[in-house]
Amino acid sequence: MGVVEKFGIPKPISSLLNWSRKYSLWMFQFGLACCAVEMIAAAGPRYDMMRFGIIPFPASPRQADLMIVAGTVTDKMAPAVRRLYDQMPDPKYVISMGSCANCGGPYWDSYSVTKGVDQIIPVDVYVPGCPPRPEALMDGIVMLQKKIQAEDMREKWMERDREPV
Amino acid sequence: MTIEQEALKHFSEVSVAVELQTPDMTLNIGPQHPSTHGVLRIVAKVDGERVSDVTPVIGYMHRGYEKIAEVRTYPQITALVNRIDWVSGFANEVPFMAAAEKLMEIEVPERARYIRMILTEMARISSHLMFMASYPLELGATTPLMFALRERERVLDLIESVTGGRFHPNFNRIGGVQPNAGAGPTQKKAVQDLPRGFLQGARDAMDSLLKTCVEFDELVTGNEIFLARCKGVGILSPELAADFGVSGPNLRASGVAFDLRKHTDYLPYDKVQFEVATGTVGDSLDRWLVRLEEIRQSAYIIQQAVDQIPSGPLQAKVPKIIKVPKGEVYVRAENPKGEMGYYIVSDGGQGPYRLKIRSASYSNISVIPILLEGVLVPDIIAIMGSFDFVLGDVDR
Amino acid sequence: MTASPSDTTATEEPTGPSALDSYAESVAKSVGALSWSTNFDTVKVLVATDKWTSSLRTAKNELGLIFFSFLSAIHWSNDVEVGDAPTEPVDERLEVLAAVGDLIEGRLVHFSTSLPVNGAALATLTGIYGGANWHEREAAEMFAIDFIGHPNLEKLYLPSEFEGHPLRKSFPLLSREVKPWPGKVDVEGMPETDEDATQDPAAETMPSGVSTENPGK
Repeated sequence: MGVVEKFGIPKPISSLLNWSRKYSLWMFQFGLACCAVEMIAAAGPRYDMMRFGIIPFPASPRQADLMIVAGTVTDKMAPAVRRLYDQMPDPKYVISMGSCANCGGPYWDSYSVTKGVDQIIPVDVYVPGCPPRPEALMDGIVMLQKKIQAEDMREKWMERDREPV
Repeated sequence: MTIEQEALKHFSEVSVAVELQTPDMTLNIGPQHPSTHGVLRIVAKVDGERVSDVTPVIGYMHRGYEKIAEVRTYPQITALVNRIDWVSGFANEVPFMAAAEKLMEIEVPERARYIRMILTEMARISSHLMFMASYPLELGATTPLMFALRERERVLDLIESVTGGRFHPNFNRIGGVQPNAGAGPTQKKAVQDLPRGFLQGARDAMDSLLKTCVEFDELVTGNEIFLARCKGVGILSPELAADFGVSGPNLRASGVAFDLRKHTDYLPYDKVQFEVATGTVGDSLDRWLVRLEEIRQSAYIIQQAVDQIPSGPLQAKVPKIIKVPKGEVYVRAENPKGEMGYYIVSDGGQGPYRLKIRSASYSNISVIPILLEGVLVPDIIAIMGSFDFVLGDVDR
Repeated sequence: MTASPSDTTATEEPTGPSALDSYAESVAKSVGALSWSTNFDTVKVLVATDKWTSSLRTAKNELGLIFFSFLSAIHWSNDVEVGDAPTEPVDERLEVLAAVGDLIEGRLVHFSTSLPVNGAALATLTGIYGGANWHEREAAEMFAIDFIGHPNLEKLYLPSEFEGHPLRKSFPLLSREVKPWPGKVDVEGMPETDEDATQDPAAETMPSGVSTENPGK
């Protein structure tokens, strides 16, 4: 048993840590399908995601805190999604962007599409839409930041070896 | 020459003469890689910096379109098909609609045909601008991305003002188009036309786009590093291109002046003047230049179409329940990526018995293993990127 | 606005229907085809299975049809697992289509041949058109057609452990059996057609494309 498990983190410290974490999310762009184009647009000049403290350019999941799964996850792709998620360092967050990543979307009856990325990795925020507008994605990011701010670090610490749902 | 220099020269000659035994290494790129345009996986055998053998592995975006189309009705398939090539959604809908209309023998009103043409060209511009954004980025330049995305947003605004969607409009109906369809259940039948100010907005956007094309010429085409990366790289001969079914800008960059807009009548392209942009060498630079020129030509088409768009109805009379008579039809269209075709086998029902989707990128990248043989590793990206494929269009 | 039976869009073309007919006839003659048709401006030439490669070779070398557009198949079957069954009984067969065109006039010819459903095999076109390689792999994967002489007839799209051939009509879509089609959403009328939208309660749960009575909007 470590110190964190036993006593937790004092509230001021945890809130300071959470506050600093939420404005420096490195985003791993898991662009798969149509939504990837909207994700790029969100990082583009008009929507400019960086003003929320999202840094959208790490090419490797090992440097990322946030993974945005944007697009259709197929059964062939699913092992790769899981593997890249496992490579991310804790604490890590996942935004599932678009109907396909949420539940299969228009391909709900297809033989090759995974019906939702939450079958393979835990998801924090779902952004609906087909594809969601960049504004919707930014709303999802703000929602995630609120979630991070309210986080109990002790719980997050305890669940660091969590298994997939 | 001093003794030392001679000795050095001798030494370098000797060291070259000795053959180094290097084992082949297998390099795996993808399926998640920033410069594979999505989820393409490339397994390359490399000998040092030389690529000896390349195997593309596709199917990471295979969604089973052709099967699920068999259990959808024709209006429902419209929503599916514009997600095939997701950077030019509107252009995918039109050939499907044209195919269904051909089977049903419906004549589309002229105004609807013009609106389709304008929006198809806008989709082409937005697709090519995506290429203008991503290709320099893959070669290491970030600024063109911002230029291209800024311009793309202007075009998307126009598409959105008509269709309600940024790039999946789902706007075509069998027999015409339906503006304001995206506005939700509160929208009544009364206002069914182009939104006010659209035509002027299109003119303004095209003027600004043509200026941006000049900027692109100055910023990218004249750039020494860019030229060093693309010139003479990945030369595709016209014979090889035809043999593999490479179409669209990639074919035209090899010097074949073949454009389906000049040969088919699915849209009123015969009423407007435009030139077919062709390259001379067929290298990556030509593929860039052809797309840049196509943006200009599309802008000219839109300018002319906006001036001559006739008034009239937007929708032909169609039965409420769409049933397509028995028959087989193949309609192909010039998509931003190349030849996009739909082979519909109808049995008289509400949905097709079989729908074969001929997508351009699939044939386009099937030639890549041949082009990549013997190139340097950094050229893999320079060649693949210049083909401007979209994995949804490859895998369907 | 419904057009007369003669196809109005075709008459605007420089090559009218009659020119297309004579072109199809000349193609059929030079490859020794069984029959030909030009319905809906789609030139289709039916050739015998043993003449498949020789016809395509003639098309490429003598008729100038150098552009390989696509190769695919149609599974004609009366016993379908999903979707609508044919209204009239058809011969159980696999129809293979290869579309080739030229790059000058914009012509496209669909060569077609019929194969038995069980043990379907056809000579490969990879020696004639390089582009046939991937298309034949796709057809082999989707329809279980054996292309004799193909260099690498492996799975292209699906993971290697996937079983079945999806585009065969006997292949079921399991998701549709687990979860019924959300028909209620599907039959909701558009605002202006609300008053005469169907009120058939059965239509709400029927998968679209299964019930012919369901007016899917």
